[in-house]
Amino acid sequence: MSRNDDIDINAYVDGELTPDERLEVLAALRENPDLAREACELHNLKSQLHLAYANPPGPGRKPGRRKPSALIGIAASLLALAIGVTGGWFAGSNDIRPDRLVLLDPQGRGQAPATAESDATRIVFHLTTSDQVAAGELLDDIEAMLDAYHENGNALRVEVVSNGDGLDFLRERLSRHKVRIKQLAEDYGNLTFVACKNTIDRVEVEDGIEINVLPEAEVIDSGVNHVVRRQKEGWAYIRV
Amino acid sequence: MDKEESPSLLGRLGRNRRLRTEVSAQRDRLYRLAWSWCHDQYLADDLVQETLTKALSRLDSLREESRLGVWLTRIMANLYRDQFRRKREETGQEIEPISEETPEDATERSLLVVHTRAAISALKDDHRQIITLVDLSGFSYADTAQILDVPVGTVMSRLSRARKRLREELEKAYVTSSSVVVPLRKPS
Repeated sequence: MSRNDDIDINAYVDGELTPDERLEVLAALRENPDLAREACELHNLKSQLHLAYANPPGPGRKPGRRKPSALIGIAASLLALAIGVTGGWFAGSNDIRPDRLVLLDPQGRGQAPATAESDATRIVFHLTTSDQVAAGELLDDIEAMLDAYHENGNALRVEVVSNGDGLDFLRERLSRHKVRIKQLAEDYGNLTFVACKNTIDRVEVEDGIEINVLPEAEVIDSGVNHVVRRQKEGWAYIRV
Repeated sequence: MDKEESPSLLGRLGRNRRLRTEVSAQRDRLYRLAWSWCHDQYLADDLVQETLTKALSRLDSLREESRLGVWLTRIMANLYRDQFRRKREETGQEIEPISEETPEDATERSLLVVHTRAAISALKDDHRQIITLVDLSGFSYADTAQILDVPVGTVMSRLSRARKRLREELEKAYVTSSSVVVPLRKPS
């Protein structure tokens, strides 16, 4: 088989040929059993490779050499984000009734940047999704961020407010990150987990069960009111 | 906030917020590819983290959002070439010889998986990369050319050579394996 045949048959298997070229190769395959076997083996090779890498060993992190993660990369732009908070709030929420947001100016005027009143950077993460993989990544990001600020000697306050579907993250029976949350809460005094009592009450009524939240979680009346309050106090707001 | 500027600023923030979510959603795919390149979970994780960090810091430079996957993979391929591969060459550390897996490991996964990974790890970087981009990630020749910054013709010829080498390695693995394995193809 010539080198060009070789390239053609690869392109055929990869679906890279035009319809006319495909017809040409198909005709050649019918006439040449060797070529047909070659195509078949290339097909097999592709599926074999998929199989071999379907489940690689999970990501490894060497202790003490953690790289700052994706969120750290944008930590510097948090202040810029804080200014755009109000617009993002309206654009991104679909479970918050607008009448609860009358306190906020839709244009974002009067919103103080996060560092206006103190030197500490203050960020409130608003967790409203039941996606606990995303919540796990959030914990990765927060931990890296706390580390980075600590190493640089900068003050940082972080709150994670869970309400709606996000409450699962702080529920005894449903949280997949209990150990991690306990550890982080012990290690970092400047990190607080907050659970929404409105959500707890609602789910208890709807599902007829008693809900226990993790001991690390502070329970406040309303998660939504709390994040609104934090924004008014100048905290940067990030919805997860 | 200036009234006239606000739509574009908010639009940009909204776009970036959306893209950040989409970038994170590609993490698993990138990790699988990175691992197939280096067969080292620490290195692969570092590579993905750096890729995501770099991508998030320059979201504005992404022109076509539909090309996000290609754009991210190109960033990762460049990082791999510029930093990770060079680092490995400097330290003289070769890709982990997967064929040295213990029999216990091998029984956990099928021998097919072990042999295939071993054969891939025996290839040179260029060959390993092009095969995994096309077969594992399913990129077209044109996308692969863009990711590796080479002409499409090079992709085609390199891929053909790489698969040939891979099959030679696989045959070698089956011949040297003491286990009773039915070869995928009869030696011609």
